[in-house]
Amino acid sequence: MKHLMLTAAALTVLAGAAPAQEITLARFFGACEDAGTDTTTSTGEACIIQSIINAADAEIDGVSIETLPTDWGNYYDQVKAAFAGGSAPDVFVMHRHRIPEFAGIGALAEISGELEAAGIDASDWSETAREAVTYNGGIYGVPMDFHANLWHVNMELMEAAGLVEDGVPVLPSSPEELLAHAQQVKEATGQDYLAADFAQFPIGVRLVLALMWQQDANIFTEDGTATIDTEAGQNAVTAITQLFDAELANPQLNYADSQQAFLNGEAAILVNGTWVVDFYTAEAAKEEVALDDYYVADFPTLFEIGATWADSHMWAMPSTLEGADREAALKVLAFINEHNIDWARTGHMAVRTSVVESNAYTSLPHRDEYAGTAAIARDTPPSERYGAIQDVLNRELQAIWLTGKDVSAALSDAEVEVQDLLDR
Amino acid sequence: MQTKARRPLTERQTALILLAPFLVTYALFLVYPFFRGIWISLHDWNLLAVAFNPDAKEFVGLRNYERVMWGRDIAWGFASPVLQTLGALGLAATAWAYLTGRIARFNAVVLAVVSVLLIVLPGFHPDEEGRWYDRRFWPTVGNTILFVALAVPGVTFTALVLAACLNRETRAMGTLRTLFFLSQVLSVTVVTLIWQIMFSPRQGLIANVTGVLGASPINWLTDERFAMAAIVIATIWWSLGIAMILFLAGLQDISKDIYEAAAIDDATGVKAFWYITLPNLKRTITLVVVLQIILHFQVFGQAHLMTQGGPNDSTQVLVRYIYQTGFRDSELGRASAMAVFLFLIMGAFSLIQFAVGREKS
Repeated sequence: MKHLMLTAAALTVLAGAAPAQEITLARFFGACEDAGTDTTTSTGEACIIQSIINAADAEIDGVSIETLPTDWGNYYDQVKAAFAGGSAPDVFVMHRHRIPEFAGIGALAEISGELEAAGIDASDWSETAREAVTYNGGIYGVPMDFHANLWHVNMELMEAAGLVEDGVPVLPSSPEELLAHAQQVKEATGQDYLAADFAQFPIGVRLVLALMWQQDANIFTEDGTATIDTEAGQNAVTAITQLFDAELANPQLNYADSQQAFLNGEAAILVNGTWVVDFYTAEAAKEEVALDDYYVADFPTLFEIGATWADSHMWAMPSTLEGADREAALKVLAFINEHNIDWARTGHMAVRTSVVESNAYTSLPHRDEYAGTAAIARDTPPSERYGAIQDVLNRELQAIWLTGKDVSAALSDAEVEVQDLLDR
Repeated sequence: MQTKARRPLTERQTALILLAPFLVTYALFLVYPFFRGIWISLHDWNLLAVAFNPDAKEFVGLRNYERVMWGRDIAWGFASPVLQTLGALGLAATAWAYLTGRIARFNAVVLAVVSVLLIVLPGFHPDEEGRWYDRRFWPTVGNTILFVALAVPGVTFTALVLAACLNRETRAMGTLRTLFFLSQVLSVTVVTLIWQIMFSPRQGLIANVTGVLGASPINWLTDERFAMAAIVIATIWWSLGIAMILFLAGLQDISKDIYEAAAIDDATGVKAFWYITLPNLKRTITLVVVLQIILHFQVFGQAHLMTQGGPNDSTQVLVRYIYQTGFRDSELGRASAMAVFLFLIMGAFSLIQFAVGREKS
């Protein structure tokens, strides 16, 4: 018995000589069951990111990665609860807009001094990418992309309405033209001009925000004063509601339904992000999908200045991570950084200059059609209450188009609520 | 020498020993968190900040309660005529019914308290210069009450009718009983997924059926007129099972002799149901109603997953608001204050249930 125990103990010591470092990883993007480890062939956000993670798990020596089950809609709530419970994931994806909230209280690891040793060349990041992960002078994560709202175009419908010139869609340059184009499409094809998720996720909010920025306005100032019930706000909202009023767009479609409407050829334009370019490209190639001639355009300028809503995905680790765990987590971050080109296949814009300039990147499908997006990318001023503010805007804007609430009443309600949040 | 016989444990000691495992678990997982919740509600307590620095909280007394439930320049008056008139009528009717001996004292007290609350509470309103500090709290409470007011009668009525129909000892009825109970074992995620597909204006079963009849599809979940109805329907389908089983148990307690006697007096079918089944089921109905009230005040998943509280907050319910305040906004103190409020509401209904149960026995 004694011998047995000694042998067992010896075996444990031997096995422990090179233990695989267990890294827990949290992410959104949805589930992909059989992503495999081939990072070059997967399609769609979920499968591309999971194939990168699987490859990291297989290829990095002495590191094994466990992807935690999370739900997209409640992702940040889950991460916060994990932090509060002292079991934060070792590596997790987040948006740039969440940095003030997390880094502001010291939850994120500052890694500027460790990047080089981990094999991450921060000088390869574009200027804006570096800014995206910088907070109060420190670097709090590894950027993965820029994503922005685009106009996804069904060229067949546009062609039928006479809105194609030299193989490029003719997009509106003013709210009046927007309405005119929409009427042209309706008359020529009987279909809606524009579809977007106005009923669930804040795509409609991002549309209105873009139209406010295009008038050089914003929903609140850097010093924390809400400025929503303004002429610019009114203009932005009515530019969209005129389409609903004339029944040239349907505000009651949610994300899945609006996407389906576009793929079914029931809408000439779908406003959605960079994340679906590869998916729609693949769908358009299918025989059974009505959408055949797919084009991607920069968000058009309806007012004075070009602007579209944009954000950034980045990977971070908790400040409490130390020793071997921290080293292993950094290896994972480095691996993801290495695979920036694979992630860009989704349609997202890459963050590394060497990738952006590479042939592999510029030759990605439709990439040249929305090359202007990077220059017009915008977001609201940083705030710890980003999530709550977006929810207020989403609620009040939905009240306008779904329940017929008066525009100025909704905007002034939104302004009061956002001010409350900024004052808290 | 004779050894002293071991003294047997007293009844009290035995009880304590046997109860200990429960009491410890109960204290650890229910009593302690409850008082901790009250403690948190008295602080400015940021979920993330306190996790990293336990001293980051600040004692603020009752300020969270004030910020959630009160406002600036709140006045009292005849602000909500419909509810307040209803309350006044209710009070008058209770007084009349009690004085003429039509209702028991306890019921009279309950009805009177409810009526007075109906007169007093809706009367508070901010005057022209004022505002509620939290403009969403009371509308959210209102939505929750509306949900309970629709779901509880819905579940009770449907379950009662089903139980009455299925109260027969045949194999087919047994199968049907199992089928109707099956929905109860599903998790809220599955239930809401099923109903989101059912309600979908594009692929949904309901839209397809109404489409055949020539009607244009209803956007159940994004139309303000239908969103609450949609989550109530899903809830009724989901929570039918337990109520039905309770009613079946109640029905099987009613002696067959009574029905036979009634049949001689020509009381069968609906008549028998009305004059015999219902009066005999009174206690079961009370139990089901109160249990459902307590259960449905805690509605969360249906509103969170199907409508995200929308459109325009029309399905925003209390627990979802607590969740958002606590986790999205990290304001644990404020969220706990709301949770204490919810506890008081449910506590009141539990007391009613307790008292009704005692009075009858």
